[in-house]
Amino acid sequence: MNMQPDVSVSSSSRVGAARVGIGGPVGSGKTALIERLIPAFAKRGVSLAIVTNDLVTAEDAERIRRSGLIDPARVSAVEAGACPHTVIREDPTLNIAAADELEARFPDVELILIESGGDNLASTFSLDLVDWWMFVIDVAGGDDIPRKNGPGVLKCDLLVVNKTDLAPHVGVDLEQMERDAAKARAGRPMVLTNCRAGQGIDAIVDQILASVLFR
Amino acid sequence: MLRVESVLGSRADAALHHAIHHLEHHGSVEFVGIAPVDLDRRRLLARTDGGEEVAIALPRDQKLYDGAVLLLDDHRAVIVRAGVQRWLRVKPATSSDALELGYHAGNLHWRVRFDGTDLLIALDGPAATYAARIEPMISAKRVTLSEEDE
Repeated sequence: MNMQPDVSVSSSSRVGAARVGIGGPVGSGKTALIERLIPAFAKRGVSLAIVTNDLVTAEDAERIRRSGLIDPARVSAVEAGACPHTVIREDPTLNIAAADELEARFPDVELILIESGGDNLASTFSLDLVDWWMFVIDVAGGDDIPRKNGPGVLKCDLLVVNKTDLAPHVGVDLEQMERDAAKARAGRPMVLTNCRAGQGIDAIVDQILASVLFR
Repeated sequence: MLRVESVLGSRADAALHHAIHHLEHHGSVEFVGIAPVDLDRRRLLARTDGGEEVAIALPRDQKLYDGAVLLLDDHRAVIVRAGVQRWLRVKPATSSDALELGYHAGNLHWRVRFDGTDLLIALDGPAATYAARIEPMISAKRVTLSEEDE
């Protein structure tokens, strides 16, 4: 007996590229991280596009476009004009439109990285905009950041602690910072990175491949 | 790994209900438990109660919900079972307390709904974490709290 009913799904529905958010405070190294992730994803054969957010300029987008790491046409800029979290959480329309437009222009794109403008520890992403998001803090910002229980640190899918190479120069006990972060996040994923040396980048790529590209 | 790229409909839909009911009689319906906080995701990994990993990647115009049918064929059905949403009920003592409570809820970006003069806050973590943000109002007995499920 064939029990299968007549099920139709809208023909306009199409599974698009995975969208991954990258948030974090000003200067924590979000753009530097992207500059490391671009070649790392290229090595894994992932077709990439990028959306950057800045307050009133396209500074980060221009930096990535000039890097020579990616086709500049695959980098779009959103100017938030106000609080950066507004356009990634309360009303992400501008970023959704930018990602939709990149997908339309580059149908082969599998992954879109959406970099937030530099913000504070309360910054989080709407899941209407992204499928998964990481929050980047840095050692030089202070080893007490994980203990402050900011929503960005607590709620992200992956916490990135960047600039680990600076720990001895800024009086930070990196192991204690790592323990504090692990405690605050109750064991949810965290990666330590040194973007200058490329340390920790493959671990982030592995997480994204497994979590949203299912490889 | 089972890959799912669309929601076929609700288990309550007339077009699906009969087939699912038939499969239930044969013990061939599996459920995928999804936490309330994850229902808004278009892409996620989950696992059926039978232990099979499910990679869900939905079009942007589709969403997961309790009863969403992810797979239906002659042999089995796979259906979303949403986790129970916990709520923190906050009862303000006066209208001015309600006004201040509303300010905090907005400023803290809490997901809320209203029940008469009470505010219900959707909990994504321990209730104590939320209560800590309005502790001065609690200790001054300007609001009272109780936790409840959906």
